[in-house]
Amino acid sequence: MHRSRKKLEEPQTVQAEESALVTEIQKLRRLRDKLRAEVKRRQAGVKASTANVEPDQTWEITEQEVLERKWENLKAVLQAYRFTGLSGKLTSRGVCVCISTAFEGNLLDSYFMDLIVQKPLRIHRHSVPVFIPLEELSAKYLETNIQHFLFTLCEYLNAYSGRKYQADRLQSDFAAFLAGPLQRNSLCNLLSFTYKVEPRGQSFPLCARLLYKDLTRTLPTDVTVTYQGMDALSTSWEEQRASQENLFRTKPLHHVFTSFARKGEMLDMSLVS
Amino acid sequence: MDETVAEFFKRTILKIPMAEMMTILKAWDFLSENQLQTVNFRQRKESLVQDLVLLCEKKRASLNDAAILDIVYTQFHRHQKVWDVFRMSREPGEDIDLFDMEQFKRSFKKILQRALKNVTISFRDAEENAVWIRIAWGSQYRKPNQYRPVYVVYYSQTPYAFTSSSQLRSNIPLLGQALTIASKHHQIMKMDLRSRYLDSLKAIVFKQYNQTFETHNSTTPLHERSLGLDINMDSRIIHENRIEKERVQRVTQETFGYYPQPRLEFAQYKLETKFKSDLNGGILAEREEPLRCLIKFSSPHLLEALKALAPAGIADAPLSPLLTCIPNKGMNYFKIRDK
Repeated sequence: MHRSRKKLEEPQTVQAEESALVTEIQKLRRLRDKLRAEVKRRQAGVKASTANVEPDQTWEITEQEVLERKWENLKAVLQAYRFTGLSGKLTSRGVCVCISTAFEGNLLDSYFMDLIVQKPLRIHRHSVPVFIPLEELSAKYLETNIQHFLFTLCEYLNAYSGRKYQADRLQSDFAAFLAGPLQRNSLCNLLSFTYKVEPRGQSFPLCARLLYKDLTRTLPTDVTVTYQGMDALSTSWEEQRASQENLFRTKPLHHVFTSFARKGEMLDMSLVS
Repeated sequence: MDETVAEFFKRTILKIPMAEMMTILKAWDFLSENQLQTVNFRQRKESLVQDLVLLCEKKRASLNDAAILDIVYTQFHRHQKVWDVFRMSREPGEDIDLFDMEQFKRSFKKILQRALKNVTISFRDAEENAVWIRIAWGSQYRKPNQYRPVYVVYYSQTPYAFTSSSQLRSNIPLLGQALTIASKHHQIMKMDLRSRYLDSLKAIVFKQYNQTFETHNSTTPLHERSLGLDINMDSRIIHENRIEKERVQRVTQETFGYYPQPRLEFAQYKLETKFKSDLNGGILAEREEPLRCLIKFSSPHLLEALKALAPAGIADAPLSPLLTCIPNKGMNYFKIRDK
């Protein structure tokens, strides 16, 4: 039935159908373009909005940078605390104390102590030399007065470092003045040596014996200076001997020898002129 | 030069390996550079030794000079001796120890020579304010035997002395007495610690073996190294018991630390305990007397071997405190009795 009707309607309906389809195509094309335009518009809109967001992100980076800089600064301050002589770092079980010794503005050795914060407070391990009376000090003060314990230990270690520094300086810088090896011990609290006031001169050798009975000090408590092999001295020689003793008692060891060196230079200068 | 002294020189120089000859002679510092240059070091050892002995004769070398050379040789070959450790003590509240090395040497020598007519004592100063002492023992009627000396290493102002084990044990109390009095202590006792590695013994008693401390200045984080669990391994390899392995690592690190262990060759446990058994009855369980047995652990490096036991799966972690307390207690000889 359909087919027959279609056959009758052919010329006019085909044309009508064709034009209807063309209209449809055009309608669809218009819709497509509209949609395309809309997509483009929205894409552009998103780009625009992300462009707006970027300045926000750079602001976040700056804040992070600021925090990082603060963190580095804080770490540097913690590291610099070393220069105060007594610093520490918290550990999982307590604190690791660092005693940095110095003498006359020279930074010397550092010594560490791992303290475990428990009852009783105890030293887990340390790098304090075995001849420093650490056990004695900790038995007396660790439990009762930790501040006193730390300050006293600082005193002992700084004094030891200072004495060691003076003895090392004498051995290395003023070897020319020594007429034999420098006799010392672990604590550097007994020094014995034979020396001359002028390294190349004709002066008589002197024997010096320095005792540091106070382990918290860097200057000797007892000084004995004698002219080698001479018991009885004339007044002027006795004066010289006594003044030498006084020098060692009041000035650090290497300063005494520096002054000998300077006197020698002045003498040389005076001879030349 | 006395024949025996010449012979002593010959045998001492002959001991020195050719490769070390120059180094040791220079350290001895008796023959000068010029004198050493006159000798041909490329000839056969026997001829070289003859030439050197002649040089020593020319320079009027004494027995003491030969003894010093023996000390130098021993310092280079300290592992050839087995070292014991002695600990001295003094009454509390004593005066400050003003240790005078020369006074110590004089005192030490005097005490030994007063007791024994025939004894050779020689000293050589060493680094860190220590002294090496060599003692050749003689007797009332016999001259000192230079070929069986005892060495003592003493660090000034410390309570510890290290001595080379000697067959001639009868003189040890005298040696102890001389050391104690000369160093101004009152008592001396032998520690239950012995090893060939003198530097390790020193590290143990001076507590110098665990020297990494946490500071703000240290850049390397402590908990970095992991023994065994390699994260970069092939992803197709899966670790079974990973959690347990990590626990073992952690416990091992806590016990043994991150430092190289001091070197010991053995640990010895003398047990005098009653037999303990889970099973009821049995002949041994009924014994009233304690069982006596000796257990000895040996290794080229005992503490490193113990450290590797748990990670290798051979032992449970944590290890028995009898094994792990060795450096802390400064002991590698133990006597275990029932409490």
